[in-house]
Amino acid sequence: MYTRRFFLRASAVAMAGVGMAPPWLVRAAAETSRRRKILVAIFQRGAADGLNIVVPFFESRYYDGRPTIAVPQPGKPNGAIDLDGRFGLHPNLQPLKAMWDAGQLAIVEATGSPDPTRSHFDAQDFMESGTPGRLTEDGWLNRALAPTDPQSSPLRAISIGAQLPRTIRGRQPAVAVSDVTQFQVRNRQLAGILENMYATTADEKLLATGKEAFDAAKMIETITRAPYAPANGAQYIGEFGRSLQQVARLIKADVGVEVAFADIGGWDHHFNEVPQLATVLQQFGASLAAFARDMGDRMEDIVLVTMSEFGRTVKEDGNNGTDHGHGNVMFAMGGAIRGGQVYGRWPGLAPEQLYEQRDLAVTTDFRDVLGELAAGHLGQKADRVFPGYQSSTRLGLLKT
Amino acid sequence: MTRTGWLLISALLLTAAALRGHAADRFDLKLPTDKQIVHVLNRLTFGATPEDVDRVKRIGIDAWIDQQLHPERLTENPALDVRLRQFQTLALPMWQILDKYPAVPPALTARPPSLDALLSLTPQQRNILQSCSVEERRVMLDALDPQKRGLVLAASTPQTLEGLPDDLIQQGANARKAEQEARQKEFRRLMPPLSELLSPDQIRTVTNGTVEEKLGLLDSFDADKRRQVVRALPPQAYATVPALRREAMAASQPQNFVNSELIEQKLLRAVYSNRQLEEVLVDFWTNHFNVFNGKGQDRVLLTSFEREAIRPHVFGHFKDLLLATARHPAMLFYLDNWQSQAPRDDLPVPAGVRRPGLNENYGRELLELHTLGVNGGYTQDDVIAVARAFTGWTIYDPQKFAEFQFNPGVHDRREKVVLGHPIPAMGGEQDGVEVIDLLAHHPSTAKFISKKLAQRFVADDPPAPLVDRMAATFASTDGDLRAVLQTLFKSPEFLSEGAWHAKLKSPLEMVVSSVRAMNADVADAFVLSQRVADLGEPLYGKIEPSGYPNTGDAWTNTATVMGRINFASALSAGQVPGVKVDVSRFNFKDVATVARTLLNAPPSPSTLSAIEQGIQSAEATPSMLAGLVLGSPDFQRR
Repeated sequence: MYTRRFFLRASAVAMAGVGMAPPWLVRAAAETSRRRKILVAIFQRGAADGLNIVVPFFESRYYDGRPTIAVPQPGKPNGAIDLDGRFGLHPNLQPLKAMWDAGQLAIVEATGSPDPTRSHFDAQDFMESGTPGRLTEDGWLNRALAPTDPQSSPLRAISIGAQLPRTIRGRQPAVAVSDVTQFQVRNRQLAGILENMYATTADEKLLATGKEAFDAAKMIETITRAPYAPANGAQYIGEFGRSLQQVARLIKADVGVEVAFADIGGWDHHFNEVPQLATVLQQFGASLAAFARDMGDRMEDIVLVTMSEFGRTVKEDGNNGTDHGHGNVMFAMGGAIRGGQVYGRWPGLAPEQLYEQRDLAVTTDFRDVLGELAAGHLGQKADRVFPGYQSSTRLGLLKT
Repeated sequence: MTRTGWLLISALLLTAAALRGHAADRFDLKLPTDKQIVHVLNRLTFGATPEDVDRVKRIGIDAWIDQQLHPERLTENPALDVRLRQFQTLALPMWQILDKYPAVPPALTARPPSLDALLSLTPQQRNILQSCSVEERRVMLDALDPQKRGLVLAASTPQTLEGLPDDLIQQGANARKAEQEARQKEFRRLMPPLSELLSPDQIRTVTNGTVEEKLGLLDSFDADKRRQVVRALPPQAYATVPALRREAMAASQPQNFVNSELIEQKLLRAVYSNRQLEEVLVDFWTNHFNVFNGKGQDRVLLTSFEREAIRPHVFGHFKDLLLATARHPAMLFYLDNWQSQAPRDDLPVPAGVRRPGLNENYGRELLELHTLGVNGGYTQDDVIAVARAFTGWTIYDPQKFAEFQFNPGVHDRREKVVLGHPIPAMGGEQDGVEVIDLLAHHPSTAKFISKKLAQRFVADDPPAPLVDRMAATFASTDGDLRAVLQTLFKSPEFLSEGAWHAKLKSPLEMVVSSVRAMNADVADAFVLSQRVADLGEPLYGKIEPSGYPNTGDAWTNTATVMGRINFASALSAGQVPGVKVDVSRFNFKDVATVARTLLNAPPSPSTLSAIEQGIQSAEATPSMLAGLVLGSPDFQRR
């Protein structure tokens, strides 16, 4: 049974034998003993309906506003899973209950952006860049990385998918991978020529991207020689499950992953929300739980955080769905998380407590959550991750 | 040194400095004529074919652009017409598509006998069943013949069954079970698995045999049996046989079949059409008015959408294009407007019952993405007012006809104010038309559309003066898109050094330009379309209403770079099923010549030397050489 340490040493040795072991691979092999801290960011694109995901079942106004689409009280058929007597999980998030009970899952309520935009694309851009109200080219997750030295792994910042999202774009090189097993130059004879071409081109953008691609491809090649089997019987579901599985594989390969990003779409439920939300939450919950299960005791070093560009209206719309809203819910998972509680100040659902008289208000800026996690877990200064922002709230999400 | 000497030297130094200055920003520096031709081809087409440069040279750039702006004057490429003939759905009216390619086979949507039985009861009988006492219900049911009784019970609700004696309840349960079993049996009869249709040997032939063997076996069956067998085929049986694949898809996934014909048609047109600018514009506007093929009925409505709402208007007036998309069921469905209704706060509705109401989705995207743009100067109140104006714009029978219909019963008749413009009450369908008119003529729309066009045809960050001039043309010609394009193509900025190679190709552009540059023969575009999707641009597959981006940032990442490199070498090695290449014209040619042929420009020094140095050891064949050029950084730009 090959352990990852064996593979790493074997590949480093094999490549060193040809005089080719890159410094980052050697260092990564040496550093397996030092446990690296990893931050995984998950974006739910389309404005996920936080009120139906973490249900404020103690609020009668929740039921008044959503006569057909509210999640029933705990105990009723298809009812919420009681967490603390006030909030409950949507029943399809059952796989996450064990993590909550074990204190590894925290929920932050009424989070969001101070910017009032209800445009998906603007709000996503603001949340990804971490500078609400103005567009910055790079993303908060990239700024959460310490500066690269030439010895750094090309895979320290990875994103699953064919596009490189703004969250992870920036000064530190980041790699977009749609499928780990396909990420290499098929025609081996030409690989060197192509690498040279991209390494010397005057086209600055393609030069940078090309270098990242080839460095990452070489590294990934060593990882994907053996097929991947999730540990502990973890079962990932769907496209999102596949993305998380690739993150898990890359982390476990000990190639120096520090931050990872994946997204999941299909949350924009203007119409016929109940069955659609149930379907996407099934994939969401099962795959998050599978990731934790697969990573096993390595979850001690991993923090996974979820977010969405804004929430949805408190009242249902005319089509069994909801419209764009404001405040939303965020999850934080991992061994270092002080889980089993709901954080944030719940603003209430009375008309005067709502944002613009229609949405859940925001009482915790999303940057407070992400900044605290980036600072506490990765050791990066929060004002470097969110320049120009001074956090006034300390949530205490992390154990140390 | 004399004064003249110093002057000469400073003049030389200044000129050198000017020449060395970043050509990338020089929208005032005109391109030399030979580069102009290539540039015009790069921008107005999906990539130059080997004959294109000479063709443009022969008739002159202005005349060629004029032809492209008036495609009706061009005869179409017979190679395209031949390939389009194989498609069955492209010209069909919507109702026929829905009829011939249903989501679920009609036999399975037929009303079950139990429901029929329930509905065949007299009104008195039904009334007894719903409202009367247990005793009265039992008496009524006992009076029915046993079979009918069973069916009625099977279709009854728990309220109706409440309190009835156990034997009646049991009868209902038995009848329901029997009905379900009959349904499953019918399902299996209509769609039997392969094991019930063929012998093990025949199954082996049809899944693993040669193309001739497969087709031979299928031809030996009568029409009914053939239909059943084809429907039951596993993907590996038909994956490499285009004709069989089409037949199997049409039989087993009819709606995917319809959409896949649309996708293949788009690719074939991009590759073969002589009316290249028209195809580029259809792509542009289909993206601008994005509709996602994964949302329910849109999968089959897109065929008509592109054919009737987009294509006829790309050289016409923007307001006509806008109105056509607003009325088309594909858009009404995609952005939920078909379900949007006037908020009826005056109607008493019992608790727990759905109160239908306003859906803002289309109103918002119409303002944000289709016309004014996110900074165009509208408010949330405008979004709501626009949404209210479009209430009643809905779809008649989306499952059978999918036609536009105005439903006055759900229209919000009250007055609205849109962008400061009052729309009086009782306007009806005209409200929406008035909003379209208002938005089409709004100055922000002229700017927003002009900027997007300039991004597509000039540079990601087009010079503001050009955009302003285009917007002025837009405004003064009532949104004549042909006129706006003429302003664009005749502008100094268009044919400038600043625009040369300024654009990064999208996945569609990279794939099609590779095929055109290689003069490849596309007999079947299905696999090619999958390659475009692998590079990050599944056609008609963008979930978000903003469509695929017009700028290069989205396509600059490691996954797409790797993907393009691999596609390039697969294409030139003849490893893309359905596409044949002939590299013989590159035989015995040196690297620089091959590169220049494919790029229509000299290769960059870095690309040239990387290839020349590398091929010594690699024993490069002409196809490898072509693959290297098509995968080079040079070829990713247009």
